[in-house]
Amino acid sequence: MANESTLLKDEAAATENLGDPAWIRIRDLIYQVSGIYQAENKFYLLVGRANRRMKVVGARTPREYLDFLTARPNRDSEMRNLLNEITIGETCLFRSQPQVDALRKVVIPSLVETKKKLAFTKLRFWSAGCSTGEESYTLAMILLEETQALLKGWTFEVVATDLNDRSVAKAQEGVYNDYAVRNVPPDFLKKYFKQSGPEFRVADSVKTHITFSRLNMLDDSKMLFMRGLDVICCCNVLIYFDGKSKTRTIQHFYNALMPNGYFFLGHSESLYGISEKFHLVHFPGATAYWKPGETSSKAGS
Amino acid sequence: MKTETLDRLRSRIVKIDSMPAIPVILRPLLHCLDQPVEQVDINRIVELVSYDKSIAAQCLRMANSALFMRSAPAESVRSAVMSLGMWRVRDLLFSNSLSQVIPANRWVVDPAVFWRHSLGVALVCRKFAEMIDYPDTEKAYLAGLLHDLGVLVNCMVAPEEFRATMEKATRELIPLDEAEQSTMGFRHSDSGRILAEAWKIPPDIADAIELHHHIGDPDRGGPLVALVHLSDLLCRMRDLGYGYYEPRQIDFPNEPGWLYLLMKYPTMAEIDLARFTFALDEYAREVRDLVATVFAS
Repeated sequence: MANESTLLKDEAAATENLGDPAWIRIRDLIYQVSGIYQAENKFYLLVGRANRRMKVVGARTPREYLDFLTARPNRDSEMRNLLNEITIGETCLFRSQPQVDALRKVVIPSLVETKKKLAFTKLRFWSAGCSTGEESYTLAMILLEETQALLKGWTFEVVATDLNDRSVAKAQEGVYNDYAVRNVPPDFLKKYFKQSGPEFRVADSVKTHITFSRLNMLDDSKMLFMRGLDVICCCNVLIYFDGKSKTRTIQHFYNALMPNGYFFLGHSESLYGISEKFHLVHFPGATAYWKPGETSSKAGS
Repeated sequence: MKTETLDRLRSRIVKIDSMPAIPVILRPLLHCLDQPVEQVDINRIVELVSYDKSIAAQCLRMANSALFMRSAPAESVRSAVMSLGMWRVRDLLFSNSLSQVIPANRWVVDPAVFWRHSLGVALVCRKFAEMIDYPDTEKAYLAGLLHDLGVLVNCMVAPEEFRATMEKATRELIPLDEAEQSTMGFRHSDSGRILAEAWKIPPDIADAIELHHHIGDPDRGGPLVALVHLSDLLCRMRDLGYGYYEPRQIDFPNEPGWLYLLMKYPTMAEIDLARFTFALDEYAREVRDLVATVFAS
């Protein structure tokens, strides 16, 4: 796996062939396959990371690499490799500030408003494909912080699952380096972490709200048990699923959510026409998929 | 807004000498825009650019910036115009001439934030119009660019009240027009309408200025109002808003303006809203560069 400085170097070198129209086609292809969109002002990132794959496969031009992604027998695995490169280094705590703001300033207040009417004072969030736990702890810290104000007297739970046992074990440890916590607001860092040398250990007061477990999202029988959730976050996971599995998983997410619940993908990731049931909603700088509310009596069930 | 309130506001604004005057360059520019793209006379554009030394200098600076420079630096206004492309020069002319409408010391809002929003809405409006096959994409652009003219009026005619309004909106994180209504008793959409009439701006654009926050009966304003309304909301959701966080959730496909356009333009159903939203960040860069160029002088 590439480290950050190699990536930066590749990204700097990539500005040389930014203008090649084949990049637009590669960008569109990535979007069709994964729902991840690379805006043109961020092309240097795409090009830098694709250049790494081009070196590995021996493609000399973007046009030639496009061939590797569309016409060669191992095109599917090459697309996965490219997606891997694109999503490298995206995991850290408080990764997307607009999403954090949307949760704190719009989503949680809206959920509180709806559930208060039903005298239902518990929130359940799910970090689906939690990897090494960065997102799960971010969610728990946000919720914990709100228990001082909006969620006073409420309880909450974060369910965190991943396919990979080692990731789950690492997530449970809750130990991160300074790079992983670089976006954590200073007051959160002080309140919710214990620093020892270069390590930042998540406080037990946060951990106690999270349940980590292994889960294969393609296992229908297990997915049926996921119910009663208010928010699901599933960032850069579905991009690796084929069309059919993606549709099935999204259906499971839909069923798992309470009416008026929200489903967050990665910052520039979309469902790209997979589900008509969800409403794409906008917050400042962020989007999410919203499960419309039914009648209020059903909303509390 | 009620007619009587609008009349009262009109008489209040007209009495004040500080009503913004139409920029000299704006009328010929509007005239240029009324023609189909292929008939726009490049000589006329070069002439308009040369008319104002500071605009000419900006064109040259922008044409010679890393983003646009071709093999050799542009040394004449004509080569700068050619290098930037007619529409980018037009953007520059518009934003520049409008930014001179009120003196620098009279701005109550940050002018860079205001122009980023106006240009952002203009670009999004045009893109939106193209996507749904709305016949007059340049009109959509213009309506987007001018939709917040009332903010300029407010800065000129009621600076103190407007300052308090901006503070209230920023403090309470509420939409600007809501804060205006409760603090001043009128909105920038009302004062903008009055300026649009004084400047003899085409009536459909004046409607877009007046109704862009409250489209009411969509048939009254037609598609142009709906386009501006949606583009304004989209920009506010993509960091091209009024410069403060607006904690709200917008379900675009269920907005009245969206539903109205869907009825009038069936191609609306084919818009990939998520992708369109992500692509807005591309406009954001263009808008920032343009505004930075205008305000660098």
